[in-house]
Amino acid sequence: MTAPGLVEHFFRHEYGKLVATLSRRVGVRNIEAIEDAVQSALMAALESWKVTGLPDNAPAWLFRVAHNNLMGDLRKRSGRRRILEQNEEADMEPPYNDPEVFLAGEVRDDLLRMLFVCGDKAIPVESQLVLALKTLCGFSVREIAHRLFTSEANVYKRLARARGRLRRLSPRLGELSGEQYASRLPAVHKILYLLFTEGYLSSHEETAIRRELCNEAIWLGTILAEHPAGQVPETFALLALMHLHVARLTARQDGSGGLLLLEEQNRDLWDYQEIRVGLEWLARSAEGDVFSRFHAEAGIAAEHCLAPTFAETRWDKVVENYALLEQVAPSALHMLNRAVAVAELQCPDAGLAVLEGFEPPTWLASSYLWAAVLADLHQRCGNTETAEGYRDVAIKSAPTTAVKELLQRRLRSTD
Amino acid sequence: MPNYLCMQRSLPIEDAEKPSPTQMQEMYAKFSAWQEKFKDNIVDMGGKLGAGKLVTPESASDGPFVEVKELVGGYMIVSAKNLDEATTVARELPGLVGPGSGVEVIEIYTP
Repeated sequence: MTAPGLVEHFFRHEYGKLVATLSRRVGVRNIEAIEDAVQSALMAALESWKVTGLPDNAPAWLFRVAHNNLMGDLRKRSGRRRILEQNEEADMEPPYNDPEVFLAGEVRDDLLRMLFVCGDKAIPVESQLVLALKTLCGFSVREIAHRLFTSEANVYKRLARARGRLRRLSPRLGELSGEQYASRLPAVHKILYLLFTEGYLSSHEETAIRRELCNEAIWLGTILAEHPAGQVPETFALLALMHLHVARLTARQDGSGGLLLLEEQNRDLWDYQEIRVGLEWLARSAEGDVFSRFHAEAGIAAEHCLAPTFAETRWDKVVENYALLEQVAPSALHMLNRAVAVAELQCPDAGLAVLEGFEPPTWLASSYLWAAVLADLHQRCGNTETAEGYRDVAIKSAPTTAVKELLQRRLRSTD
Repeated sequence: MPNYLCMQRSLPIEDAEKPSPTQMQEMYAKFSAWQEKFKDNIVDMGGKLGAGKLVTPESASDGPFVEVKELVGGYMIVSAKNLDEATTVARELPGLVGPGSGVEVIEIYTP
């Protein structure tokens, strides 16, 4: 349902912008007070706008109320004078008069700054992700738990660690240095990548929910790419891979929510606008001599997007990119993917040969992916008995009904 | 058409979780849809009600004319053919009628 006069996710994104802007103004160590003030401002907006209708400049309205809430609260908590003394350089005059400038430039910088605040090395990665979802994307604890398939208690725990770190930051450390922007960039890339894969690879049954996380990652990635601190080939490659993946998101499911194999997907359902944007980012990512894991992954995604049919996929390029991916980011999962691509390029035997003698780590050996690939390759090689064994394991360890059905269809005995 | 005073009564829910921004947007959307549907009935969107006092010949008193735990949250005025129609308008208002809350619909007689 759409709200008249408001863009999609208006409340959620305003939450992120307000938290980011106020964090710069009064210091991110006041994050709790800031989030409370923003939440109250949104509640007040809801009550007030119901009666009066939307104000002319809704973001400025929200900023004014949130700012007043926060000042009142900080004054009460610790005395306003002390805060002011510590933030002498901070401009406490809200920019009511020039909302255009306030919206276009300042807020984007603030959002970006907040993203780098989340990338603090002293905060564990899983807490960084939750902090970004909470403060920048405006999701509630319950919504985050729902999206990350974890408990609310766990989300609270992760948030508490992140907030604890921010609270201990000295006021002097409020402003990030250029050096800090540079050193935190890989962490920021990782946050965006995780945010994206949480959506894209999620076995969540609601496509809309998965799509939402992907879109948040693309939104933040685009802000990063527009800022000097983020304008590096890795950022462009990351954006390329995100666009090239979401282009195929809808086609991955059939009408009733079941998952479809790449070869079963209707390529007409792919979003060619997204593919075009993805390829543009991929072209920009080719500048310089950096080859990151994002370059390899975007390269693979591009090969799939550009193939007119499954059979016409340039498997040699896919194999090549997986090999590069293994070099820059060694992982058993990447090797498994390369085996699948080699099987398509040459024959199933060659695919099995890639995995010959390899002992998968426990996390992979116990996942359905490993068993499913081996079941498929052995079956195509005619090793029916071995295939049956892996098939049972794969189906038994399938995380969702949709995956189970996919495996049953793909791995059913040929007889 | 006669006017009706709608008074929202609710029981404060302990530890009620605050709505998330996403939920607020949904609430706003539902509310706007309701306003659109009943735009001919809405006379005055009213507002929230705060604390009050009862003034009597003896003195101003804080109650107990309203049970302490039961809050009159807000009011509005709708016009309707009859009490039934006014009740329908109020019932469909999102978030108004739910666990622990309800709305009192009272006809306003004008001479």
